[in-house]
Amino acid sequence: MSRLHDMGGRFGDGSIPVPRDNDNEITNSEPTFKYEWHAKAWAITLAAGALGEWNLDISRHYRECLPPKDYINFSYYEKWLAALTNLLIDKKLVSLDELKEYVSAAKNGTLTKFSDKDIKLDHRTWLAKDVQKTLGWGGPSIRDTNVNSVFDIGDKVITQNYSPNKDVSGGHTRLPKYAMGRVGVIHSYHNNHVFPDKNAHGFGENPLPLYTVEFKSSELWGELAESQNDSILLDLWEPYLKLFPH
Amino acid sequence: MSEKKNITDDHHHPHDHAHSHLPSDPELRVKAVETLLLNKGLIDSQTLDELIDTYENRIGPKNGAKVVAKAWVDSEYKKRLLNDATSAIRELSYQGRQGENMVVVENTPETHNVIVCTLCSCYPWPVLGIPPTWYKSDEYRSRTVREPRKVLLEFGLSLDPKVQIKVWDSTAEIRYLVLPMRPQGTENMDQSELAELVTRNSMIGTGLPKEIK
Repeated sequence: MSRLHDMGGRFGDGSIPVPRDNDNEITNSEPTFKYEWHAKAWAITLAAGALGEWNLDISRHYRECLPPKDYINFSYYEKWLAALTNLLIDKKLVSLDELKEYVSAAKNGTLTKFSDKDIKLDHRTWLAKDVQKTLGWGGPSIRDTNVNSVFDIGDKVITQNYSPNKDVSGGHTRLPKYAMGRVGVIHSYHNNHVFPDKNAHGFGENPLPLYTVEFKSSELWGELAESQNDSILLDLWEPYLKLFPH
Repeated sequence: MSEKKNITDDHHHPHDHAHSHLPSDPELRVKAVETLLLNKGLIDSQTLDELIDTYENRIGPKNGAKVVAKAWVDSEYKKRLLNDATSAIRELSYQGRQGENMVVVENTPETHNVIVCTLCSCYPWPVLGIPPTWYKSDEYRSRTVREPRKVLLEFGLSLDPKVQIKVWDSTAEIRYLVLPMRPQGTENMDQSELAELVTRNSMIGTGLPKEIK
C-alpha cells in the first residue's frame, strides 16, 4: 500500500498545464511565484525549517501524511502550509491555542504584527545576513561511512514488492509503488546517503548505499509501454533491492 | 527495532489535524501562520524578503543556461560536467541547496532525457531555480514515467520512434540537469549568445533550445 503522493503511472490525470503566451507559444518564463502568498508559504516553510526542529525527510513525510481528501483538494503551496502547521504544533514551537487565536484574528481582520522592537528573536532564528551562506552550503545527504556497497554496475536487481519501511507501517519511503517488485539493472552508484525511511521518523540518518537503477519501460508497464526501447531510471537505496536470481 | 514494529504512522497525528483549524482562504491562512511566527520571533521578515528576492531575481534557469553554453564551447568542461557535475557546476559558483549532488545527462541523436519527480517536486534549484507549476502538477508527475512520448507531444516535442527516451525519476537527493544538443548553424556564436538559446524546458527535457532563424 502507498499514499496519494505516490502517483507515478496513475491513470486519470489530464493534459499537462503547459503555460502559453499571448501568441499561444509555449513559454519558459512564468513568474517564479504566481501569487504573493505562494512566495510567503514557501519562504516561511524554509525559514521555519532552519530552526532545526525537523529534517527534509520529516517535512516531506508530513506533506504525504495529509488526509487524502486534503491532499487532493489542496494546491501545492496549501499542502506546504498545512504540513508546516502540523509540524509547528507537533514540535511544540506553537501551541494549538496560539494558532486558534491568530486564525480568529485573521478571520476578524484584527491580525497585528508586533513592531520590530517588541519582537524577541529566538536564538535559532535564521537571520537575513546568513541566508546566502546557508543556501550555498545546502544540506548534502552524502555521508562518509564504512558501509560497502553490495551491488556492482550491471547487476540485475529486483525491488521490494511491498513498502520497504519495516519500522513504521505506512512510513516514509522513496521506492515508488510503480517500481515495486520489478527487475532492473544497476546503472550507477552514488556512495552512502542518509536513508529517508529512517530519517523521516527520527531514527537517525543511517546512511546507506544509493544506486541509480534502470528499468525497461516494458518491465514497468508491460504491453502499455509506449516503446520497448525507452527506460525509466530511479535512485534507490540498497534495502529496496535484492540481487535477481539468474 | 522490534518495539517499533507496530507503529502506525497515522497514530502520531490526532484525528483532528492542527491544519484543519486554518481559515479556508489560503491567503488568510498564510497571513495567520506568518504573523504568529514573526511575533514569536521564530522567523524574521528580512529573511523572508531575502529568500524570495534570491529566487525571483538571482537564482534561476539563466544559471543552467550558462552551464550548458560553456559545455557546448569547451569540450574539456563538458567532460568534467558529465563526469562530476557538482564540481563542474561549482566552477561557475552555482552550488548549494537542492543542488548538493548534481548529475548532468546528455542528449544525443540516439537518446533524449527527461526529468521528473513522481513523489514530490525535486528540482535542481541552483541551476534552474524554483520549479514551474506544471513540473509540480499531478498530471506531469503521474504521466511522465508511463507515457513520456504523449507528455512531450503536449510540450510540442515529437521524437522519432527510434530515439530512446530515458526518464529520470528524482527519488533521492541526486538532482538532474539535461544537457541538450547544440542547435545547428550556431558555429559562429559565442558562449553568451549560445546561452540565450538555452530554454529552461530544454534543461528538463520537455523542450529543445531555440533554433536560430
